[in-house]
Amino acid sequence: MQAARELNRAAAVLALSVLMDSAIEHYRGSFKNKAMFTPLAVSALALGVSAHGMRDQRAVTHGLRNGAYILTGLTGAAGLAFHTYNVMKRTGGINWQNLFYGAPIGAPAAIAMSGALGSAGERIRHYAPFTPAHIWGLPSGRGLAALTSLGIIGTSAESFLLHFRGAFHNPCMYLPVTLPPIASALMARLAWLPEGSRHPWTRLWLGLTAFLGFGGVAFHAYGVNRALGGWRNWRQNMLDGPPLPAPPAFTGLSLAGLAALRIIEAKRLV
Amino acid sequence: MAKRNSLSWNDKTREIIDKRLNVPREPRFLTPVEFAVLEAIADRIIPQPDDRPRVPLAALVDDRLVADVGDGYRSAGSPRLREAWRQGLAALETEMQARYDRSFTQLDPSTQDLVLKQMQKGELDHAAWGTMTAKEFFKSRLAHDIATLYYAHPAAWSEMGFGGPAAPRGYVRMGYNERDSWEAAEASEGKEDQARKDNARVGR
Amino acid sequence: MPVSAADPQKTPRAVEGRAPDVFRIGGWVPMRQYAESEEVDFAIVGTGAGGGTLACKLAEGGFSVVGFDAGAYWRPLEDFASDETEQSKLYWTDDRIVDGENPLQLGGNNCGKAVGGSTVHFAMVSLRFRPEWFKSRSVMGYGLDWPLDWREMWKYYAEAEEALKIAGPVTYPWGPKRPRYPYRAHEMNAAAHALAKGCEAMGIGWTETPLATVSAPRGLSSPCMYRGFCVVGCSTNAKQSALTTWIPRALKAGAEIRDLSMVGRVEVDASGKATGVHYLREGAWRFQRAKNVVVAGYAIETPRLLLNSANPQFPNGLANSSGLVGKYLMTQSNQAVWGLSKDEVRSYKGPPSLALTEHWNYDDKKDFFGGYAYMSQGPLPAMWAKTQMSSRQLWGAELVRSMQDYNHVVGLKMVGEMLPQERNQVVLTGEKDQYGLPVPKVTYSWCDNDKAMIRHALGFMRQAMEAIDAHDIFDQDDDTNHLYGTARMGDDPRSSVVNADCRSWDIPNLWICDGSVFPTTGGVNPSLTIQAIACRTGDRIKAMARRGEL
Ligand SMILES: Cc1cc2nc3c(=O)[nH]c(=O)nc-3n(C[C@H](O)[C@H](O)[C@H](O)COP(=O)(O)OP(=O)(O)OC[C@H]3O[C@@H](n4cnc5c(N)ncnc54)[C@H](O)[C@@H]3O)c2cc1C
Ligand code: SF4
Repeated sequence: MQAARELNRAAAVLALSVLMDSAIEHYRGSFKNKAMFTPLAVSALALGVSAHGMRDQRAVTHGLRNGAYILTGLTGAAGLAFHTYNVMKRTGGINWQNLFYGAPIGAPAAIAMSGALGSAGERIRHYAPFTPAHIWGLPSGRGLAALTSLGIIGTSAESFLLHFRGAFHNPCMYLPVTLPPIASALMARLAWLPEGSRHPWTRLWLGLTAFLGFGGVAFHAYGVNRALGGWRNWRQNMLDGPPLPAPPAFTGLSLAGLAALRIIEAKRLV
Repeated sequence: MAKRNSLSWNDKTREIIDKRLNVPREPRFLTPVEFAVLEAIADRIIPQPDDRPRVPLAALVDDRLVADVGDGYRSAGSPRLREAWRQGLAALETEMQARYDRSFTQLDPSTQDLVLKQMQKGELDHAAWGTMTAKEFFKSRLAHDIATLYYAHPAAWSEMGFGGPAAPRGYVRMGYNERDSWEAAEASEGKEDQARKDNARVGR
Repeated sequence: MPVSAADPQKTPRAVEGRAPDVFRIGGWVPMRQYAESEEVDFAIVGTGAGGGTLACKLAEGGFSVVGFDAGAYWRPLEDFASDETEQSKLYWTDDRIVDGENPLQLGGNNCGKAVGGSTVHFAMVSLRFRPEWFKSRSVMGYGLDWPLDWREMWKYYAEAEEALKIAGPVTYPWGPKRPRYPYRAHEMNAAAHALAKGCEAMGIGWTETPLATVSAPRGLSSPCMYRGFCVVGCSTNAKQSALTTWIPRALKAGAEIRDLSMVGRVEVDASGKATGVHYLREGAWRFQRAKNVVVAGYAIETPRLLLNSANPQFPNGLANSSGLVGKYLMTQSNQAVWGLSKDEVRSYKGPPSLALTEHWNYDDKKDFFGGYAYMSQGPLPAMWAKTQMSSRQLWGAELVRSMQDYNHVVGLKMVGEMLPQERNQVVLTGEKDQYGLPVPKVTYSWCDNDKAMIRHALGFMRQAMEAIDAHDIFDQDDDTNHLYGTARMGDDPRSSVVNADCRSWDIPNLWICDGSVFPTTGGVNPSLTIQAIACRTGDRIKAMARRGEL
């Protein structure tokens, strides 16, 4: 139950991060295509239902909520396809220029992840506390661990791409491409191991990764200020500078990881 | 000009554009007679619409002559900036007197255009031109100075849709058909209203 | 923003133990100063790509250095406007006469006058030579060989690229392997995409242009804002010019910069060694003693100074026993094909050349010698008006009408190799400029090979424009740009002015380190090569000093 609500929270943080990020990025893209409003709508929806879920103590899947999450997941998947298509159709196809400056692959993936996490939460909620749920044919804790492992490594890959674009000009830019992959590996290990034992190191590392998400916002704010005109020129620098809302994706995913950990560790007590 | 007080203009830009807009309208280097000929020529080189204040081209050329900053080169046979203008305007007037018995300023616009076209092709050849050919004067001084000064004026920038000064704020949207909200929109047929609405917001 | 009271073009700023801090409005940095009576190790005339770089290398090598520049010492953040007319204050606009069948356009087009030299308003394109060009006579059958080895130059190119944090493509498609550019390439604007599309349609390669403007923060340089006024000076300091890179480093290492200091004469004593420079500052001619003199005033001012320093011992000018000072002036062809796109392009956004192709530098199936690159373009309004007038003879209502298509203009512009010819040269005339120095006359005519290359390039670029459905296409066939060659380097004192170390054959403590030393131009822009040569010269001087060979 607790885990399910934590997942709602994870989905919420992730949705919020994507909502802000896609608002900024699609504004930059001048909403050239009406479909560019979609991610705003669905991530707002995901955010809304997650807030609802966080307060909901009942141990049943909420049909509407779950529906909303599935919709979010599907939209994310569609967005992924659309962004990939956008990159491919640019002159030169898949090359660094287009990966750097074309439609980002990571953002819609994060929407999909938000949906997936929320929906997983709904399933766990339904079965808890007696029947073990399954995700991807794995017991729920391990399945969730696999999902977050994937999410964290994906987000880390995105930040590698963007920090590479920024030439790692500040040594701190290496943090999000070194810490989270370890968290991801630890989660992958959990997905592999039988459930039921304690994992204090993993917990610690997830906490660190979650914190990195907040710290990242501060670093990005500093980055925006280093551009000419600093915050005074926010209309340009918010768009061109490092994205403020992106790093909390790590926080959202780490929260999901912690939820997975809770389920896995809880097994011991049953 | 709506953007003057926005982040797209730094103080230095405001300072020099203000100076340009307030350029003295009276000649300071040229004589009143030379100035009048120059005004008549400028009207033909850059015909300006009647629905907005005119860019004072002759005054801007005169201002450049006061500053006396050349281009950094002149062709063999041509004198320096100031002398080139003096000599060119005088030669034109002498040739007009010889040919039409009147000043360039008194010719009707189509004759003025004809004369300028001949100058451009090097078909004015009165001895008064000296070592500087009429063609060279047209190319390097007359058309060159008038047009480059015109396109350094905010009124001209608006006319052509140029974003104008841009610092400290630059641009974000770089691709085809992309426009930052601080750039003017183009009015395509049937969409003039939308463009006008968008453009009302540009000054921020 | 406080704007400094005194006009930096009238009153020198680098005085009283301090120099302007280029990164801070109204700011200063400490500067070491040398007395005129003190014999400094190096007096360097000109602080551009060549002189600025060498000043840094030598100061960091422990030498005492004074760099002289005729131009002002700007703080871009407070002094630079977004304005083509105002910014002509960065150009060398002193009197010069041009002649020949194809007279050059000088001034803003290719000559800067400022601390930092022409790099203050250059377009930042930073390319390496094709290795074979260093041996173009023996390997490719034209021009002449350089006394430099490309493998050694590759090392110095890397040093220059690192110093300027060049933002370039992840992998460069042409030539031997080079290290990864320090910063990533910039986002391409629509004009650059147009070039890329054209290249793909023509089946040739293209890439993002390696540029000396940062795509991420660097120290006090903020990242490029894509304001597109680069060729009239970058007011944001994103641009990595000599003013914002080498010169601050030089100051830190103890060099002195003297702004508004026009050197009129290099003094040589009876033993045939240079003893210092005469320069005009604040209305008075002064003399700075020096153990070595470096001339780095670019391909017109360098020969002018050497010729004007003639004395009874060297009646034809300094370092001129070969008779080649001022000869073999070269420029590069800079012709363009322009057209209109049905889409809005707004090429004024971003640095002017964000994409390029070097295909014809590396493809040797051509019926002329040499190669060319071509790049996307973003002309500012007055420049565009000039192009319309000179290429299409437009004026009057036609001009005004055609200027209204500005936002739809796309263009491709070549940078092409022109061959060295003895008749293209810089000589002194009897006329005097504002300093009382003889006005130079610059003569230039294209040869048949130059014309054949231009024909080829215009034809090819036109096809590329047609392939992307541009309409109203026209050629701009008269433009040239960078300058080279009036004090060429070589292996033989009879056919060159300096050796591979930029040391003059005739006067051992007189050096020339700028664009003048190029024997050939290659088909890429010069500044990176000038800076790489200056880096090498700095290292060579240090090595020679250690061995007592100075
Ligand atoms: C508009 C423009 C765009 C360009 N774009 C590019 C580009 O994209 N890529 C590229 O590689 N190159 C480009 N260039 C060319 C490049 O800037 C020059 O080739 C390079 O700066 C030349 O270096 P230099 O050291 O020889 O001379 P400069 O950099 O010109 O420096 C010479 C300095 O010497 C000073 N000087 C001269 N004579 C005297 C004297 N007697 N006493 C005191 N001071 C003196 C001058 O004031 C000047 O500051 C461009 C140039 C211009 C003008
Ligand atoms: S486009 Fe970039 S490099 Fe050019 S002037 Fe603007 S900020 Fe400077």
